[in-house]
Amino acid sequence: MKRGLGLAAATAAMAVAPLVGGTYHVLLMLPFMAYAVVLLGLNLLFGYTGLVSFGHALFVGIGAYTGAFITSRTTIRSLEVILLSAAVLGALVAAPVAALCVRYVKIYFGMLTLAFGMVFYTFVLKFYRLTGGDEGTPFLRPSLLGHAFDAMPKIDYLTGPYYYYSMAVLGLATLVMWRIVCSPFGLCLKTIRDNPAKAETLGIGVTRYRFLAFVISAVYAAVGGALLGPPTGNVDPTLAYWTHSGSLVFMTLLGGFASFFGPVVGAFVFIYLQNWVMSVVPYWRLVFGAILALIVIIAPEGLAGLVTRRRPAPAERA
Amino acid sequence: MTLLDQDHQPSRRQFLTLVGAGVGAAAARLGAGPAFAQGGAPVKIGVLAIRAGIAAPVGAAGLRATEWWAERVNKAGGILGRPVQLVVEEESNPKDTVERYRKLVLQDQVEVVLGGISTGVTLALGPVAEDLGTPWLSWDGTTQKGVEETMPNPKWAFKSVDNEVEAIVAGILTPKYFKGIKTVAGIGNDYSYGHDCWESYQAVLKRYLPDVKFVLELFPKLGVTDFTSHIAAIQQSKADLLMCSFWSGDATIIMKQAAAVGLFKTMKGVFTTAGGVHDSLKKEFTPEGLLLGYNTMYFDDPKGSALLKQFVREYKAKHNEYPPYECDHAYFNAESYKAAVEKAAGAAKRWPEKAQVVKALEGIEIESLSGRRSWREDHVQMCSFYQGMTTHKNSYDFVTISPVEVVSTRQAMKPAGAKLFDWISGWKI
Repeated sequence: MKRGLGLAAATAAMAVAPLVGGTYHVLLMLPFMAYAVVLLGLNLLFGYTGLVSFGHALFVGIGAYTGAFITSRTTIRSLEVILLSAAVLGALVAAPVAALCVRYVKIYFGMLTLAFGMVFYTFVLKFYRLTGGDEGTPFLRPSLLGHAFDAMPKIDYLTGPYYYYSMAVLGLATLVMWRIVCSPFGLCLKTIRDNPAKAETLGIGVTRYRFLAFVISAVYAAVGGALLGPPTGNVDPTLAYWTHSGSLVFMTLLGGFASFFGPVVGAFVFIYLQNWVMSVVPYWRLVFGAILALIVIIAPEGLAGLVTRRRPAPAERA
Repeated sequence: MTLLDQDHQPSRRQFLTLVGAGVGAAAARLGAGPAFAQGGAPVKIGVLAIRAGIAAPVGAAGLRATEWWAERVNKAGGILGRPVQLVVEEESNPKDTVERYRKLVLQDQVEVVLGGISTGVTLALGPVAEDLGTPWLSWDGTTQKGVEETMPNPKWAFKSVDNEVEAIVAGILTPKYFKGIKTVAGIGNDYSYGHDCWESYQAVLKRYLPDVKFVLELFPKLGVTDFTSHIAAIQQSKADLLMCSFWSGDATIIMKQAAAVGLFKTMKGVFTTAGGVHDSLKKEFTPEGLLLGYNTMYFDDPKGSALLKQFVREYKAKHNEYPPYECDHAYFNAESYKAAVEKAAGAAKRWPEKAQVVKALEGIEIESLSGRRSWREDHVQMCSFYQGMTTHKNSYDFVTISPVEVVSTRQAMKPAGAKLFDWISGWKI
């Protein structure tokens, strides 16, 4: 009940933000929503399956470059086509990567995902003619539901139609992910996370389930990556760099990987905290490092864990 | 509506009307008007500077020069009586820097944004500057994709000198200082700047020395610190000359490692951009007789102005090092903005609209640290490049250059609208 109320309040706040908020802060909501989609997927792998990927920027990059390539090399501008293409391409690339990675767990899984991420980073950096190398590729303004909005100034486009479109995508992604984690499939993933040997004896195909979780998380990352492109207007290799993968893990830890909405909270806090800290101190990376250390030491379940820890358990209330 | 409107409300409101929400709240923000003279209220100037990574020293130099400029301006009474207040944000990757840029304009309400070094970043900033309708003066970043301009007719964006100019200057000077060159090897960082410099250098040198052969090209990753294998390959090539476009600490490192094997005892050297780290090129490992480029400012220019000498003196006193060229780009940007505001204000001394400042910037020429510099009509910097032969005959522990060659961008930069290699092919030599 409380969660439902909180969700309704957050949705309402997001809906009215463009009407009452400052333009800049509304613009900051765009990467938040894109990252929220990415992290919902990442947490299926991290929080629900127990596999920490240090290479998910690979799929963010695939989504972003798919959109950039479609808009700058073809006449297609439809964001629906871009998101669908990003999802399909993300899944296609994820399939062989997942097939190799999910055979391993813990640090080996993490290192393998990191390696694949860096392979993709090197590819986009080196294949200049195709990807634009370090200079990147423009991501032209996409049309939304058949409306081009060409006459609208870019800021109005971003804080108006694009904002609500992103919100709808995030809403849909949340609903689908909620269904996934509440389904028998989601339950199997949690079983695998908690005790893979027992899951195996119960007849759950551990490798197959991990594979599917990986591919789904990659699709989410690609869709989120495609949403990240239009606000910047240019897609570059740093989106696929390992530090970006690290930031995704940081956001998940910050919000709390044990909670469904924890990573979403993490994305929100990360973006607004970074915005504030960057303006106050030049050494903001140091501050973020300290925050990460504090989270791991005193709040391993993240911000969401802090909130739920304060709430008394039903038995205590009785 | 045009981009001159500061808050873009009508279009936003139209959209919100369509979705049936919040017209009243949006309309409440229609009040923003043009920025007229505001008595002594500070004029906010946004600065984007790299503060981390391999280019952090470059960003620091630009920021220091901007701060030096701001101090001088404020001591002299500000701009039209308004003190200058710098609002500094970090230039990092394109996505984050675009967000910082928007913060400066939308949140901090700066009058102008100065800065931008990485072309990967400034390619993204250019269109954003056009969207936001606030002048952006780039220190050292272009909106070129490779050597092709992507924004030939910008309204708000003012761009750096084309990236490849220093390689072109070096290509012009190479035949003058190194007679009988027949084979050339090249090394540059593995990103667009390194590749573009090498291609431009080859194109120019071919015009002067049609029979010259390019026998080796190496592109180590930016940030690499071990060039042992690269130097071995360069030695193996037995080239007459090595062209190197390194601009950061890697220039110093390769110089040290080359000295260890005596590379320049048998080979000539051209370092197009190593002047960026000039005071780390110590005499003990940097030989005389290399062609060394200082980009647009040579700190020890014997013909340098009183302004340059004062700047170098005070920079050394404050930071215990000698200023690199980024200082000149930063100073020029800030000073040209001030001059444009004063020009646009006219006799009435009324604080001009941003669009009027932009108009005044076009073609404006001012005295910068390195001498006279200007903005071309298509918003590209015009200036002079300083290169020369390294010498140990000075009072420093690092090399300087003598003689000093000064080549104008009028000679070494492609004209507006021209294709680089067509333009080079058309030179009369």
